[in-house]
Amino acid sequence: MSIGILSLLAVLAVLVGLALVRGLDFAPVVQRFIEQFAKLVPRMICALIAAGFIATLIPKQLIAGFLGADAGLIALPVAAATGLLVPAGPVIAFAIAAVFAKAGASTPALMTFITSWSLFAAHRVLIYELPLVGASFFRLRIASVILVPFLAGLLAMLVGLITTFGQAAP
Amino acid sequence: MARFDFLRDPAWRRATLHDGFGRGFFGFLGAAALTGVVCWAVMGREVFVDALWGDVSLLTNVMPRVFIAISIAALVWFLIPRDRISALVGSESGMRGLIIATIAGTITPGGPASAYALLAVLAASGADRGALVAYITAWATLGLQRVLVWDVPFMGAEFAFLRILISLPLPVIAGLIARRLPMTLVVTETRS
Repeated sequence: MSIGILSLLAVLAVLVGLALVRGLDFAPVVQRFIEQFAKLVPRMICALIAAGFIATLIPKQLIAGFLGADAGLIALPVAAATGLLVPAGPVIAFAIAAVFAKAGASTPALMTFITSWSLFAAHRVLIYELPLVGASFFRLRIASVILVPFLAGLLAMLVGLITTFGQAAP
Repeated sequence: MARFDFLRDPAWRRATLHDGFGRGFFGFLGAAALTGVVCWAVMGREVFVDALWGDVSLLTNVMPRVFIAISIAALVWFLIPRDRISALVGSESGMRGLIIATIAGTITPGGPASAYALLAVLAASGADRGALVAYITAWATLGLQRVLVWDVPFMGAEFAFLRILISLPLPVIAGLIARRLPMTLVVTETRS
């Protein structure tokens, strides 16, 4: 059992307890569960399968060459674009990040990559954001956070001027 | 009328089935098939089989979480007093609302299923757009669970710590930008 599942189960137990104490009617809860399950799970299964293939197809070593310390500011847009391209969960994204780190990618580039992936991962947008919150929120959010991965990279560069603390140790 | 009568309602069953296996689903199915074919053609059969097995083990890993997360989301939908949320992170909430949203996003456990479900609850409760963007940005960039489970083992504790430090101001900045953008926000109508 991982930390993830355990913490989820703990939250669920607290909520069920709370619902029992309050005498909540469970019928609408079950209804909403089934509706959301139908909306999310079939697509999620296909998306995860597609994501695994895409992650295999991304030319990791080729990209890693553009992320080294000598690449300077160019590394940030390359890292941000690569983060955009990884349509998969943390297992695959962090495995790719570790490949980049081993190939000598700079800390700012890694920050930008992980931040970009965490904000834009296409599978999450398609599976969750669009069906649950809608396209207009998606557009607003993208416009609001488009600069955030670059900001993360630039902040990491500033920190790198002062100290070497924070280098990846994959 | 029995409480679980909706299960026998044909209109509800059709709508739910349509949600699951509508046009969107076949788009995803097509993408899975297409990327599989490309993977086989470009990288060969062995890599394809490896990737497929990776997918299967990923699915068996993820499914229990998704099941729990959707249960949590359904319970939260009915348990949270939605009017009180809008007071906490409504359009009048200012900087405080953005900070509350950032903290909430940071500590929300579970994967995207629970975070986006909670985001839908917040949006339906009349939370301000800046707070919504700050919440999901914080969950994505700062989410504690992800940092502990993924950043630390894959990238090392120092890197994880630096990433948290750097990401702290980002959700608030995103929220401030969202408040100033001249865009209209229409939240998806949710059934029930």
